[in-house]
Amino acid sequence: MVAETAKKFEALEAQAAKIMSVFIKAGHEAVAPAIIQPASVFLDVIGETLRARTYVFIDPDGEELCLRPDLTVPTCRLHMERHLEAKTRAKYCYNGSAFRFQPAGAPVAHPREFRQAGIESFGGTERAKAEAQTVVTILDGLKAAGLKDFKLHIGDLGLFRALLEAADMPLRWRRRLMHQFWRPDAFRTELKRLTTLAFDVPRDVPTELLAKLDPERPDDAEKQVAAYLDTRGVELFGTRSLSEITESLLSIVADSKTQPLSADTASLLESYIRVVAPARAAGARLRDLLRGGNIDISEAFDAYQKRLQLLADAGVDVAHADFEAEFGRTLEYYTGFVFEVVVPSLGRQSPVAGGGRYDTLMRQCGSPEDVPAVGGAIHTERLLAALTGDA
Amino acid sequence: MSSAESLILAVPSKGRLMEQTIETFAAAGLNVRKVGNARGYRGEVEGVPNVDVAFISASEIARYLKTGRAHIGITGEDLVREQMTDWETRVSMLKPLGFGHADVVVAVPDCWIDVRMMADLDEISGAFRVRHGRWFRVATKYINLTRRFLSSRGLTDFRIIESLGATEGTPAAGTADFIVDITSTGATLKANGLKILDDGLILKSEANLIASRMAKWTPRVREAENIILQRLGV
Repeated sequence: MVAETAKKFEALEAQAAKIMSVFIKAGHEAVAPAIIQPASVFLDVIGETLRARTYVFIDPDGEELCLRPDLTVPTCRLHMERHLEAKTRAKYCYNGSAFRFQPAGAPVAHPREFRQAGIESFGGTERAKAEAQTVVTILDGLKAAGLKDFKLHIGDLGLFRALLEAADMPLRWRRRLMHQFWRPDAFRTELKRLTTLAFDVPRDVPTELLAKLDPERPDDAEKQVAAYLDTRGVELFGTRSLSEITESLLSIVADSKTQPLSADTASLLESYIRVVAPARAAGARLRDLLRGGNIDISEAFDAYQKRLQLLADAGVDVAHADFEAEFGRTLEYYTGFVFEVVVPSLGRQSPVAGGGRYDTLMRQCGSPEDVPAVGGAIHTERLLAALTGDA
Repeated sequence: MSSAESLILAVPSKGRLMEQTIETFAAAGLNVRKVGNARGYRGEVEGVPNVDVAFISASEIARYLKTGRAHIGITGEDLVREQMTDWETRVSMLKPLGFGHADVVVAVPDCWIDVRMMADLDEISGAFRVRHGRWFRVATKYINLTRRFLSSRGLTDFRIIESLGATEGTPAAGTADFIVDITSTGATLKANGLKILDDGLILKSEANLIASRMAKWTPRVREAENIILQRLGV
């Protein structure tokens, strides 16, 4: 599907020009971030799984570089080069190539080199409004290119996070569940472990040391651990500090003293993850799930409803949009609202556009603090294929 | 270096691996010797026609077998698995040779007393990220083996740092948090204050006699191969 003939390239560029003019009219400044990026930004932020899909290479100076696997991280970096304060408000748009390794036999809708036309909005503190605007602008771009028949899918990682925050459990359990959220099997295992407290993993720590550690007195615990290492002649070195190792040991102690996660909470989390419903009905489903319990996530819930209302007000056909609680699970840098636009001819696995909120990405790229950020991109080759009937 | 009708036999060019290869062949009545000057890189097998011996490094041998530049070679299974993601389609392992033993293992600092299993690493990786603002860094020269093994154990959030030497020193230097490296007795790891995780054995490797499926196998080459394999008892 990569445009290899001049004719297709011209058709793609003509289509992109229409889309870009919609983006620019919506207040986004057109930018062209670098194609070659430092690999570390992507690998440190997104993890090693991305390396398997990214073209990484070493330049003659020994620097590890990559061909950008998306344009969101490069746009964040461009923004930070321009502004000392990453939270400075800005709206950008772009049209350019991205590169992802595809195994032999990958479908044609997944080429290793593809073009994206997209938008990013940084620093907008009215979150629901910025999210709705992003969806509206992307849909306007699709329509300007001529697309009529499509379906909107939405998800909201903020709802899941709020559910975890509100559920009664220690902070470290919350972190573990959030950490495993992206991996359905591991998540289920962790949930089971927490409800049964079956921590059967063998540890290198003698029980007499654990017996001396009191989670209420971390300073003393640190001394105990230091003394333990000392008497055994184990040198403390490496990147993890004494306090980190102690904290981890204390969490083992704390787990053994904590009541297991209630079966109700576990089943609530599991039921939530299974919710798939039309966007409007999903709100009611969620309310039903929470009824009778003492879990209050009204803030995240209101944000969901408000966003839906703003979308409806802007003329988006929310009656036909679908909500999936699990949606976003495979895209680790998203932090809240996520969306995809799907066309019948290409199907759910090859959306023509997608995006969402990623409030922690700017910090992961080097900003001292989180910056509200939301964006979306159109896969222009898929769009062209859908419009010309090549799909 | 050879006529198109000769079998190319790739033999390690130095160290114990070379000595033991030559001993093993000699014990089977195959005398491998260098031709030309003693430092040369070419050789022959006495009394077996149509064989050209190429003395090259063990990792180069894996590459030769991968592309079919050599028909048969002797190298470590670790190198084959690391350098070929599709090794089963490219080579066949004919025989483990009983020397060149080395384990590819995951090792962490001794002072990580809270970590003994792979699952423990996953357990602490979230807290590590919160504190350090990045994922774990793993130093290794076995990039592919490491990535595949860690992913198969559910550990997906890490960064591989390619290390071409003295991998065992990287945790102390702070350039990596833990390592994946080769060990035969464990002494080097121990000297560097590192311990192997209980379920951290990625591969038990030894030197293997390996044939390339990518090489050009003419009847004459096949014939030379048969003589060698027969003597070696394959």
